[in-house]
Amino acid sequence: MKVLYSWLCQHLVEPAETAEMAERLTACGLNVELRTALEGDEVWDVDVTTNRPDCLAHRGMAREAAAAGAGRLAPLSVRLVESGPPVAELAAVSVEDPQGCPRYCARVIRGVKVGPSPQWLQKRLAACGIRPINNVVDATNYVLLDLGHPLHAFDLERIEGRRIRVRRARPGERLVTLDGVERELLTEDLVIADHVKPVALAGIMGGAFSEITETTRDVLLESAYFAPALVRRTRKRLGLDTEASRRFERGADRAMARQAVDAVAALILELAGGEVASGVLDSCPELPPAAVIPLDLHRLAAFAGCPIPEEFVRTLLAALEIPFEVEGQVFRCRVPSHRVDLELPEDLYEEVLRHWGYDRIPSLLPPLHTGPGERRGSFPVTDRARDLAAALGLAEAVTYAFVPEEVENVFEASPLAARGQLVRLENPLSARAAVMRRTLWSGLVEAAANNLRRGAQRVALFEVGRAFFADGTGVREEERLAVILAGEVGSWDSRRPVDFLDLKGIAEALAEGLGLGDVSYVPLGAPFAPGSGARMGRGDEVIGVLGKLSEAAQALYDAPRPLWALELALAPEGAERAPIFVELSRFPAVVADLTVRHPVSLPYGELVGVLWSFAPEILESVEPVVRYRGDKVGPDEVKTTLRLTYRHRERSLTQEEVNAAHFALMEKLASTLPVAFG
Amino acid sequence: MLPELERIRDDFDRALEAAGSDPKKLEDVRVRFAGRKSGVLRKLEEQLASLPKEEKPAFGKSLNELKRHIEGALEAALAQARTGKVRGEEVDVTLPGRKPALGALHPVTLVRRRIEEIFLRMGYSVADGPEVEDDWHNFEALNIPPDHPARDTQDTFYLPGGLLLRTHTSPVQIRTMEAFRPPIRVIIPGRVYRRDSDLRHSPMFHQVEGLVVDEGVSFAHLKATLEAFVHRLFDPSLKVRLRPSFFPFTEPSAEVDITCVLCRGAGCGVCSGSGWVEILGAGMVDPRVFRAVGIDPARYTGFAFGLGLDRVAMLAYRIPDLRLLFSGDERMLRQFPGGLAR
Repeated sequence: MKVLYSWLCQHLVEPAETAEMAERLTACGLNVELRTALEGDEVWDVDVTTNRPDCLAHRGMAREAAAAGAGRLAPLSVRLVESGPPVAELAAVSVEDPQGCPRYCARVIRGVKVGPSPQWLQKRLAACGIRPINNVVDATNYVLLDLGHPLHAFDLERIEGRRIRVRRARPGERLVTLDGVERELLTEDLVIADHVKPVALAGIMGGAFSEITETTRDVLLESAYFAPALVRRTRKRLGLDTEASRRFERGADRAMARQAVDAVAALILELAGGEVASGVLDSCPELPPAAVIPLDLHRLAAFAGCPIPEEFVRTLLAALEIPFEVEGQVFRCRVPSHRVDLELPEDLYEEVLRHWGYDRIPSLLPPLHTGPGERRGSFPVTDRARDLAAALGLAEAVTYAFVPEEVENVFEASPLAARGQLVRLENPLSARAAVMRRTLWSGLVEAAANNLRRGAQRVALFEVGRAFFADGTGVREEERLAVILAGEVGSWDSRRPVDFLDLKGIAEALAEGLGLGDVSYVPLGAPFAPGSGARMGRGDEVIGVLGKLSEAAQALYDAPRPLWALELALAPEGAERAPIFVELSRFPAVVADLTVRHPVSLPYGELVGVLWSFAPEILESVEPVVRYRGDKVGPDEVKTTLRLTYRHRERSLTQEEVNAAHFALMEKLASTLPVAFG
Repeated sequence: MLPELERIRDDFDRALEAAGSDPKKLEDVRVRFAGRKSGVLRKLEEQLASLPKEEKPAFGKSLNELKRHIEGALEAALAQARTGKVRGEEVDVTLPGRKPALGALHPVTLVRRRIEEIFLRMGYSVADGPEVEDDWHNFEALNIPPDHPARDTQDTFYLPGGLLLRTHTSPVQIRTMEAFRPPIRVIIPGRVYRRDSDLRHSPMFHQVEGLVVDEGVSFAHLKATLEAFVHRLFDPSLKVRLRPSFFPFTEPSAEVDITCVLCRGAGCGVCSGSGWVEILGAGMVDPRVFRAVGIDPARYTGFAFGLGLDRVAMLAYRIPDLRLLFSGDERMLRQFPGGLAR
């Protein structure tokens, strides 16, 4: 809201200087964000919160300034000379929807001379961001900015039957508003109509047909109170944010409707002449009874954490024009019609505390009645996953949860993405953010491609976040960890391109760190390039997928090098399993290597699996040492050297017993699998 | 020393002498006698293991003697060879090492963890909630009924079935109060979404929300808690200023400024010359919120606060552009391999 300092001063006796007033307003909650000098005056940008429509005017703001000690509020006096015939002889008002329009006041002025406003008025309007139009319209806008009540002036000649009807729009009705746009109306819209047609959108904008022009002679002035929700609904649908709608939808002042219509009539009389018909057409002169809120000083002190002097409360309430009666420690406050935000005692505590000053309230740490804090929900497992991924040398990225649908489709074949239906946004910002991700890859693939295209030699990124699935009428959220590797691995003197085992190593380390137990790796085609992917299983469940992404995925964001991607579902129970210590053996191990020649079609996993199935109790571990393909073996053969470690838990092993066990194992392998040794 | 071991010692002495100070020959000698896989010493150790128990002590003692002799002599000869005229084996200590890559957590994760630590120490739990919410938890229970003007300030992404992407972490306040009775102390970090995208707004960002509900909670408690938090997060010398403001779910409400961490209050671009930066919104829990979750507002009071993690990360690490946080640019992400710099 733009505020003119001199205009504020007009409502104040002994006003404070500019800087002091701005400071005091800011301190009580009306944040003066920008001060601009203007011809010896100042224009302020004041941030008025949505609960305080009464401060969307100079009068209201001056009231706050007075309560904040920056002057005293001058009494509001309107002197209006009525010289015309009784208004009822010139026009009529009927409110057919009193819920939508609880009060409608109208006055009539005859014989105005429409023309430009005087300079002082034009300047004030312009300073506050309103374009001057003519003296009648400018007068309504001036009173709006002065008292905060929206007003409208109709050309009375254009009101068919000289009768105002406040009603809902009829099916198919249309209205060309002041901005020249033809609006299609719905029956939920409240309109001001004459005998036959709508002439204004209630509380939002007038119609072009009945607008004040140079030829207007007689004016009907509207000063009403419209129901906030109705104004808001129509305003939102039509996208018509106006000075009037802003105030009505936050809550205008029902009492002010009458004062404002008098004030604007007086001003028009001064600016454009004519004669004011006597009396006001007022659909509901009686105001609803004011609510009473008790303000208990004891409760206030407990709420604040310090006592607030009674005298301060008394002075403040008077300055805010909140009438009260005192009963012991309790102020019984009657809510004035300009304060739509006051309902509960806490609302009054706020009034007192913001004016008392938050800086004058002491700082006291609260007593601790809760036990020790804990991390709940998915944080234990997601944070463990983050720490593990960072420990493995990956950098954490955060990417958007909404992605383009065509990107999402590329990953649809991933068993983790196929866990449910896609969730579409109803109002996405753009097609690039149209659906909720079912895999974290979309964002990471884009990030990886961007890094590579910037010239990065290696990409090693991870993200921990949620995937989203339609689930009946709801949405299921699953915590995920995703990794992307691309480019090179290794140190400066041993660089080589990333391959599957680099990615699998990360998967294995993550599975170990997350306590996932036995994980199986089974070849998986799409969404990976043929022969370059796998799924991770635990029992019957697929818990992860990893591999080289398909060319289609690589092409999504023009990644210049292959992308190796991993995604792991993070089940909440993973992190909670505490490991249990395994007794250390005090006896030496005996190591024996075993070189096995076998067809390529025999996977390592099967070879070792069969080996373990025959393993004697003293076999402690098996790991690969060398894998060889080449001239020294057949074209479809591979030579795998395994290192077997034997150890007895309770004594030293002799070479003979190890040899015996080792040879027995070789024999069993040879009789079960197509293998040869050496 | 057993005679058979003495013979080995003599063999070794001769071989060592023959090798002189030639590093290659010395290495051959080392491998032959002290090689880990099939050196003479290794073989003898295996032999020791298979000896009958009564022969072990004598053999073991001699073997240890031999081992000390061979290892000592080798080390001396190798050291001499290194300091001698042959320079080819010398290490260039200025070459970069084969450094394992250090991973890095996202700046937002780092500040979140720091904030969690501060509040965990003050007895708060860390809670979590869904990112897809219903209207009740995101708006209505927080005293934002339909047609409330405050809905305009939180432009919302809607999903089918009347669901939405939460516009703040406050719905988890509601979920916490639905699940736990007071006393409650909780903070709620998480991703939130608003339909807004420009230089200073991202459609997805991060918040931390705090909630305390107990008997006798006062505004003074809120003030002290925020001050303790800001002082621990940034610096005990920072000033904390509360300005009256409005949020539908707190009454009264405050916006909280701290002395600009960059210019220390002198005025700079980050604080628009004011010397203050706004980092928190806070207030006393509105009784209407308590009523919505069935907590008696006559008995309990509480306070709540919220801050943008992204903004704190930008301030803490002087990251100039919000969008960098979501860019996945590894050059940025790897700049913060440690915790929050103080």
